[in-house]
Amino acid sequence: MEFAELIRTGQAQAELLRGPEEPPLRGTLCITGHHLLLSPGPQATPDLWLLLLRNVDSIEKRIAGDSGTITLRCKDLRVLQLDIEGVEATLDIARSIEALSSLESVITSFPFFYRPKGLRLGDAWHFHPPECYYKRVARETNAWRLSEANEDFSLCPSYPRAVIVPRAVEDSALARSARFRQGGRFPVLSYYHAPSGTVLLRAGQPLTGPQKRRCSEDEELLRVVLAGARPGARGFIVDTRSPQAAKQARMTGGGTEAKAAYPGWKRLHRPLERGRPLQESFVHLVEACGDLEQSMDRWLNRLESCRWLSHVKETLSTACLAAQSMEQEGACVLVHGADGTDSTLLITSLAQLILDPLSRTMAGFQELIEREWIQAGHPFQLRCAHSAFSHARPKHEAPTFLLFLDCVWQLGRQFPLSLEFGEGMLLALFDHAYASPFGTFLCNNEKERCLCEVRTRTHSLWSGLSQPKEQRKLRNPLYVPNPLAIWPSAEPQSLRLWQGLFLRGTRLPEPSEVAWEKVWQIVTDQEKTEGSQPTDSASEPRP
Amino acid sequence: MTVIFFSSVPSQNYFGKKMWIISFKALTGAISSYETLPVLALDLFNKEVIYICPFNGPIKGRVYITNYRLYLRSLETDSALILDVPLGVISRIEKMGGATSRGENSYGLDITCKDLRNLRFALKQEGHSRRDMFEILTRYAFPLAHSLGLPNHHWRITFINKCYKLCDTYPALLVVPYRASDEDLRKVATFRSRNRIPVLSWIHPENKTVIVRCSQPLVGMGGKRNKEDERYLDVIRETNRQVNKLTIYDARPNVNAVANKATGGGYESDDVYHNAELFFLDIHNIHVMRESLKKVKDIVYPNVEESHWLSSLESTHWLEHIKLVLTGAIQVADRVSSGKSSVVVHCSDGWDRTAQLTSLAMLMLDSFYRSIEGFEILVQKEWISFGHKFASRIGHGDKNHADADRSPIFLQFIDCVWQMSKQFPTAFEFNERFLITILDHLYSCRFGTFLYNCESAREKQKVTERTVSLWSLINSNKDKFKNPFYTKEINRVLYPVASMRHLELWVNYYIRWNPRIKQQQPNPVEQRYMELLALRDEYIKRLDELQFANSAKLSDPSASPSSPSQMMPHVQTHF
Repeated sequence: MEFAELIRTGQAQAELLRGPEEPPLRGTLCITGHHLLLSPGPQATPDLWLLLLRNVDSIEKRIAGDSGTITLRCKDLRVLQLDIEGVEATLDIARSIEALSSLESVITSFPFFYRPKGLRLGDAWHFHPPECYYKRVARETNAWRLSEANEDFSLCPSYPRAVIVPRAVEDSALARSARFRQGGRFPVLSYYHAPSGTVLLRAGQPLTGPQKRRCSEDEELLRVVLAGARPGARGFIVDTRSPQAAKQARMTGGGTEAKAAYPGWKRLHRPLERGRPLQESFVHLVEACGDLEQSMDRWLNRLESCRWLSHVKETLSTACLAAQSMEQEGACVLVHGADGTDSTLLITSLAQLILDPLSRTMAGFQELIEREWIQAGHPFQLRCAHSAFSHARPKHEAPTFLLFLDCVWQLGRQFPLSLEFGEGMLLALFDHAYASPFGTFLCNNEKERCLCEVRTRTHSLWSGLSQPKEQRKLRNPLYVPNPLAIWPSAEPQSLRLWQGLFLRGTRLPEPSEVAWEKVWQIVTDQEKTEGSQPTDSASEPRP
Repeated sequence: MTVIFFSSVPSQNYFGKKMWIISFKALTGAISSYETLPVLALDLFNKEVIYICPFNGPIKGRVYITNYRLYLRSLETDSALILDVPLGVISRIEKMGGATSRGENSYGLDITCKDLRNLRFALKQEGHSRRDMFEILTRYAFPLAHSLGLPNHHWRITFINKCYKLCDTYPALLVVPYRASDEDLRKVATFRSRNRIPVLSWIHPENKTVIVRCSQPLVGMGGKRNKEDERYLDVIRETNRQVNKLTIYDARPNVNAVANKATGGGYESDDVYHNAELFFLDIHNIHVMRESLKKVKDIVYPNVEESHWLSSLESTHWLEHIKLVLTGAIQVADRVSSGKSSVVVHCSDGWDRTAQLTSLAMLMLDSFYRSIEGFEILVQKEWISFGHKFASRIGHGDKNHADADRSPIFLQFIDCVWQMSKQFPTAFEFNERFLITILDHLYSCRFGTFLYNCESAREKQKVTERTVSLWSLINSNKDKFKNPFYTKEINRVLYPVASMRHLELWVNYYIRWNPRIKQQQPNPVEQRYMELLALRDEYIKRLDELQFANSAKLSDPSASPSSPSQMMPHVQTHF
C-alpha cells in the first residue's frame, strides 16, 4: 500500500490521556494507513483504542528528556495527549500522523477500505434518490415534474442528476436559466408545503452583472411557479446577503433579481454570516470553551464576542421568516445567496424542519440531510477539511453544517417532544461530517461522488446508524408526533450554548446520556412488561 | 380552617416491616395533635419495670412499647393500674440516676408529657434495659430527629428554648452537644449575635461529622473573648475524632467580616480558636443581592435586552452570585463528606447566607432532601424554623417597597436548587413546577408557610391553627410536581459544577411574563411527562406483582403473605 512510505515507525510505548475525567490508558502505540492504535493488552478494557487519523485537526509535539508528548486536537473537538517513550519514536509518530492526516485523495480515504461486519455495500444508498421525494410531491400536486436535464451534470455540476421543476418549463429553458445562475444553479423545488399549497425554491444568484442582464427563461420559470400556486399567490425572494453585498456582487458578474423583471416577487435581504468570518467565530468559540483559565466574570462577555450565538439567532429567524411566508402568508419563497450552496441550504432545510412534521422523524431527517445538503451540493470536503483547531489559514472551510446542527439542537431544546432524534444524532452527524469511516459526507457534490464511485465502493452512514445498538443514543425517547409547525423563539434569551458539543471536554457530573438512558429504561421497561401477565396468586389481597 | 401538615408517610422501620409514621412539624418541638390513622402495631419493647406512681408509690409492672404507644400493666395483685400513653404525648425523656446511684428506684427514666403529667420508671442497672427503652422511645416519639439518628451519645435534644427565652428567632427544639449543659448554652448565647448559638443542622450517617449553624461571635473592636464559646466549639470539634480541626465557614467576604467588628460583630480568629480553621466564602450581603436582582428585572421586563444580551446579563452579576453561593455549599459538603471534618457555618446573623449554605449542602449530601417530602422538611427546618425573616425579606403586607430589609435570598436559594436539578436531571423527585409553585406562594400569602419572621411569632399568631400549609396543597396533588426521570439513589453525594459555563439564567421563571420567549406550550410537555410517570408507576406495580407471584410460589402457601418490604422496593426507608 502506498501509505507505507509515510509510516515512519513500527510501534512505541505510550500513555494516552483522553480528558480530566477518564483514566489514562497505557499500551503499545502503532500507526496504520488510516488509524492510530493503542493496545493496552488483552486484559484491559477497552482492549484496543482507535483513532481515525483523518480526525486529527492539529498536532503539537514536545520533547522532554528521553520521552515526548504529542497533543492531538481532533476535528470532533476532543483533545488527546500521548506521552511516548523515546525521542525518535515521538518524532516519527508525529511526522507520520502529520502526513497521513492531511492526505487529500478521496479514493484512498478510509471509507473505501472500511468493511464492517453486518453491512452490505450499497445497502442504504438508494433510500433517498430524488425520485423518492418527487413521488411525495406528485401525490399532492400536478404542477411539478422530475427533470433529468442534468443527467450528465452538464447544466449544473453541483446538482444531482434529477431535479424537481415546474411542469410547464421545458428542459431547454432550464438550460438557459442555468447559464444565468451562479454555478448553473437554476431555481429548483426544495419543499412543497401541502397545507398552503406553496413552494420553497432555491437557486444560485442571477448573473446580472454590471449591465443588469436579464434572462427571459429564468423570469418565465419564476412566473410559472406563482401561476402554479393558488391564484393571486405572491412570492418572496430571500436573499441571504445585505442589499449592499448583493449590489456589489454585480461588479463580479453576480447580482440579484430586478424588481421589474419578476412581477409578483418581492425581495427581502437577510444577511447571514458565511465563509471565513463564520469559521473564525467557530474557532474563537472553541478557544473560549477550552480556556479553563478564563476568569469567571468575563465568560458571558467572551461568549457574546464570539458571535456564534448571534449567527444561530440570525439563521433561525431567517428560517422562521421563510417558513412564515409560506405557512401564514401563503406565499412562494425562493432562497439564494451567492453560490446557493451554504446559507441557502441552511434556510431551506431549517424552514422544512419548522413546517414539515415528516422531516422531524428519524427517517425524514436523514432524508432531509441527504436531499438538502448532500445532494444539493454543499461542498462538505472543502468546508469540513479543517475544524476549529487547525493552524492552517482557512481557505474554503466554514462550519455551515455545524451551524445547521446547532439550530436543530436549539429547536430540539425548545420542543423537547417534537423531534424523533436526539442530541446523540446531531453529535454523530457533526463527527461524521468532519471525519468518518462512511462515505456519506465525502466529496463536494454528486458529480464528484459519481466519479469516485462513492456510492458503490463505500458504506453509507445511514446504514451504519440504523444498527440496533446505535438507536438508543440517537433516538428521542420522549418523541410524540406533532402535526403542527414548530415556531422556535430566536430571542437571545431562548438560545443556549450547545454544551453537549462545545463543552465536550468539561463534562458535567451527570452527563445527559445518563438521563437519556434512564428515560429509555422507563419507556422500554413498560413495553417489556406488557404481555407478561402476573400469575393467579397475585390476586391475593395486598396490604 | 383545618390544619393539615405533612400527610402521613408510609415508611419502613428498621425491621423492614411497614408501619405508619405520622409526620410532625419540623423540628419545632411543639407537636400538634395526631390524626387517627390505621396503625400497624409493632412490639418494640417488653420489660418488667417499676412505675413510680406519685400517688401510690412504686408499682411493679410490665411495660410494652409499640411504635405508637407506651402501655403499662401492673403485675401486682392488689393494683389494676394501666397506663396507656400515645408516644406523641411525650414531650421530653430524661435519664435519672447514674451507674453509681445506690438509692432504691433511683435509676431510670423520667418522661415529661404534654398532657400535664410526668411518668417515672425505675429500671435495673444491668442489661442495658434503660438505654434500650430510652432509645426506642426517643426514636419513635421524635421520628423527625431520627432521620438523623439523633440523639446519640454526642448530641442531645434540648428544650431550653421551649418558650423562646434563649433565642427568640430559633425553634423551640435544638440539637446541641451532649457535653454542653443548658447553662453553657446560656453563656454561649451572650456571645453570639441575637443569641443564635451553634446548633446542629445535619449529621453524617456514617462518619458522624456534622454541619452546625450559628451567627457571628460578638468580638467587636476590642477583640472580646468568651471562654464558654471557645470551649463550646471545642466540644463540637471533639464529637468527631477523625480530624483534629474544626472548620468554620464564614459566608461573608473577608472585608465585610472585619467591618462587622465595628458594630460589635466579627469572626473567630485563629489565635483564640486554636483548633479551628476559618474560611471566608465571599458571598455578598442582602443589599447586593437585591440590587443584582433589580438589574435582572431591568433587562427582562418589559423589554428584553436584545443586542447585548449576554454582556448585560453578566453585568447584573446575578449568575456570579449564584456561583458563589453554590461554590460555598460545595465546599461545606465536601469538607463534611470527603474531608471528614465537622463544619460550622455562619454569616452575620445566621439567617440568610447561612440558611442558603446549610440547606444546599444538605441537599448535596443527603438524598432524602431531594424527595418532595424531604425538600419540604428542609425548607421547613433550615429556613422557616431557623428564622429566615420571610416577613421582612419579602415584605408581606408592607407598603414600604424600598425597605432595606427586603432581599431575594430565598429566591436565590431556589435558583441554586434549579441549577442543581438541571445538572442532575434524575436526582430530584420534584420538577421545575414545584420550585415555581413554592416561589409563587412565597409572595401570595395564601398559605401560612412563609408568614412571619420566626417560629415564636408564628406560635403567637397561631399560624398552624389559622392557616393552611403550602405543603398540604402540594402533597394533595403530588403527581403534578414529580420529575418523571427521578431515580432514587441513597448514598450519592451531588457535586454540581459551579462554573459560569454551566450556569444559566432560569428563563422559565425570570422571563416567564414575556410572550416572545415562547417555547412549545408547556401543556403537551407536562402531559407527556405525566404519561411517563404513569408508565413508570404501572411498571413498578407490575414488577411488584410479578415478584409477589414468584415469592408466593416459592414460599409455603400457609405462611403469611410475603413481607411487604419485598413488594415495595421503591418505598423510602428514611426514618
